[in-house]
Amino acid sequence: MAAVATCGSGAGTTGSAVATASKSNVTSFQRRGPRASGTNDSGPRLVSIAGTRPSVRNGQLLVSTGLPALDQLLGGGLAIGTVLLIEEDKYNIYSPLLFKCFLAEGIVNGHTLLVASATEDPANILQELPAPLLDDNSKKEFDEDVYNHKTPESNIKMKIAWRYQLLPKMEIGPVSSRFGHYYDASKRIPQELIEASNWHGFFLPEKISSTLKVEPCSLTPGYIKLLQFIQNIIYEEGFDGSNPQKKQRNVLRIGIQNLGSPLWGDDICCAENGSNSHSLTKFLYVLRGLLRTSLSACIITMPTHLIQNKTIIARVTNLSDTVIGLESFIGSERETNPLYKDYHGLIHIRQIPRLNNLICDESDVKDLAFKLKRKLFTIERLHLPPDLSDTVSRSSKQDLAESTKRLGPGCGMMAGGKKHLDF
Amino acid sequence: VTLSEGARAGIGRELGMLDSLLSLGGLVLLRDSVEWEGRSLLKALVKKSALCGEQVHILGCEVSEEEFREGFDSDINNRLVYHDFFRDPLNWSKTEEALPGGPLGALRAICKRTDPGPVTIALDSLSWLLLHLPCTTLCQALHAVSHQDACPGDSSPVGKVSVLGLLHEELHGPGPVGALSSLAQTEVTLGGTKGQASAHILCRRPRQRPTDQTQWFSILPDFSLDLQEGPSVESQPYSDPHIPPVDPTTHLTFNLHLSKKEREAKDSLILPFQFSSEKQQALLRPRPGQATSHIFYEPDAYDDLDQEDPDDDLDI
Repeated sequence: MAAVATCGSGAGTTGSAVATASKSNVTSFQRRGPRASGTNDSGPRLVSIAGTRPSVRNGQLLVSTGLPALDQLLGGGLAIGTVLLIEEDKYNIYSPLLFKCFLAEGIVNGHTLLVASATEDPANILQELPAPLLDDNSKKEFDEDVYNHKTPESNIKMKIAWRYQLLPKMEIGPVSSRFGHYYDASKRIPQELIEASNWHGFFLPEKISSTLKVEPCSLTPGYIKLLQFIQNIIYEEGFDGSNPQKKQRNVLRIGIQNLGSPLWGDDICCAENGSNSHSLTKFLYVLRGLLRTSLSACIITMPTHLIQNKTIIARVTNLSDTVIGLESFIGSERETNPLYKDYHGLIHIRQIPRLNNLICDESDVKDLAFKLKRKLFTIERLHLPPDLSDTVSRSSKQDLAESTKRLGPGCGMMAGGKKHLDF
Repeated sequence: VTLSEGARAGIGRELGMLDSLLSLGGLVLLRDSVEWEGRSLLKALVKKSALCGEQVHILGCEVSEEEFREGFDSDINNRLVYHDFFRDPLNWSKTEEALPGGPLGALRAICKRTDPGPVTIALDSLSWLLLHLPCTTLCQALHAVSHQDACPGDSSPVGKVSVLGLLHEELHGPGPVGALSSLAQTEVTLGGTKGQASAHILCRRPRQRPTDQTQWFSILPDFSLDLQEGPSVESQPYSDPHIPPVDPTTHLTFNLHLSKKEREAKDSLILPFQFSSEKQQALLRPRPGQATSHIFYEPDAYDDLDQEDPDDDLDI
């Protein structure tokens, strides 16, 4: 009130009040705490961790998934505290690449990694991470690959509708050097980057002795061990804020490979109504609780094509935050279909979370296809031709019929397998 | 019908996939059915690896030892190490030669061997093991066995392990079969037509696309493998051979094709929205006929001469 009094005693107009205020450098709004020295930073103090940025939609802190195209589809990146579930393709060729790009992004940004697998040793997984493309080279490599993709025929087609040629194939926002990098799938990450990084590995056959007698309990012992391991790392390294001596906050990136496969001790891939069919769903529930209370993000790859009970897939989807399905064309009839000849498979974005929000960040592009070029993994919009001839419509109707068969959960026993009775 | 040696050598590389099944290592799944049985192929592969000098262990669970050894000559029989689980699967006789831990214990004991060199383990059969053991335990054991050569840090380099598993497809649902086939490095599905057996071989290498091939073969009485050409050429599975592709442009009353001259004319045509320098000049140059153009207009009875008063009710 003293400040107002000094302003008021001077003159009545606001102009002179402002003049006196600027002269005496005192306003009625006093900032609590020390004032920043610079002219910027007048806002609240943000947590600034390398490799993260706040989302422009809902303010969540985001990390990059390692593929800038995927980041764009997910609304800028993966939110910290959430789970990204990748439904593996049938022969498990492309999902390990997404998994490794996520981990490589963590190494490049200096995040701590936790790699869990029942299939291969985490040290071997880290040796096979793709090499990052540095900023000055990345634009060149990317453009070179895009140029190779364009054939002369496409230039002729665009003679009349030449304005469409100027549209980019997939709008990818500017990639700054601090968020989102491109990776070269044909090269390995340099050894010194791996050694400089902080990582923890969980290899299931080492942690569990094979002659252990399995008691019937709600969670498979493999899952219990993994949850305890994750919890220990989070607590000891202070990702949940419990360790106050931590000088600089960092993000923990967790990668779990092939979750739900029989090698984890879970029988949802083997039997329809197994003895512990709730084990995986309980694991995901507890994992999500651990993630929400710590600065961590998790990627999980799961062989959902092997899961026999379709209702479990629906529950797993609900318990994860972001779910992406990969469908490769290898071995299917689409491999020889000329419509899909430029691509290696389809990407289905099955779920995007609503975090502190009423709507989710859905992109308007629904039919997406991916392609593993010589170096890069790209995601593009799939353009299907218009429904003109008989053959085109027949194949698309077949695809629709197949997809409805897959997605229908059915009820109880009818959910098993792909065939269901048509009444 | 056997081919001549020359012809066989020429296409030997292509037919070599069945021969080289064992050299890839890992789990080889032999899926058979009632019509096309797989035990003879299993015995043929066992004989081949025994002749190559590898150690061969057999876990016999489904048939008796005498029946399995039948048809092999004595030197091969001496090389086979047979673990018999058929006669006394639950170990009721409690003899000292019974192996502890059942079949899985025997598998682990084979893996803990100290001498290097390639090993082939034949499981006769995986179906029996699936029916007696939980699927997850079996999968974990098979994975540990087939990936043992990949573990670093051991003192002695352990040779490659191949596990041949015979699986009767019809006994199991899609779950266990799918789980085992996702673990397997090679999957051989037996089939055939008209008395000729074929093997559809699907090879999954870890980071590469799976390759598949269909191989026609027959097993000779001494259990050696005879590779053959199939009865017909492999047809494309997804195109219908009875309906030839129809070219819709053949019997039309109008012409859809462009001759060379027409194509050139089309390519050199400047489209209306392409802005070229000639067009710019043409627009900027004043047209010669423009000054003399007139507009002739005859007003109609209904024409409105006063544009601002549409209803004609202003009385000015």
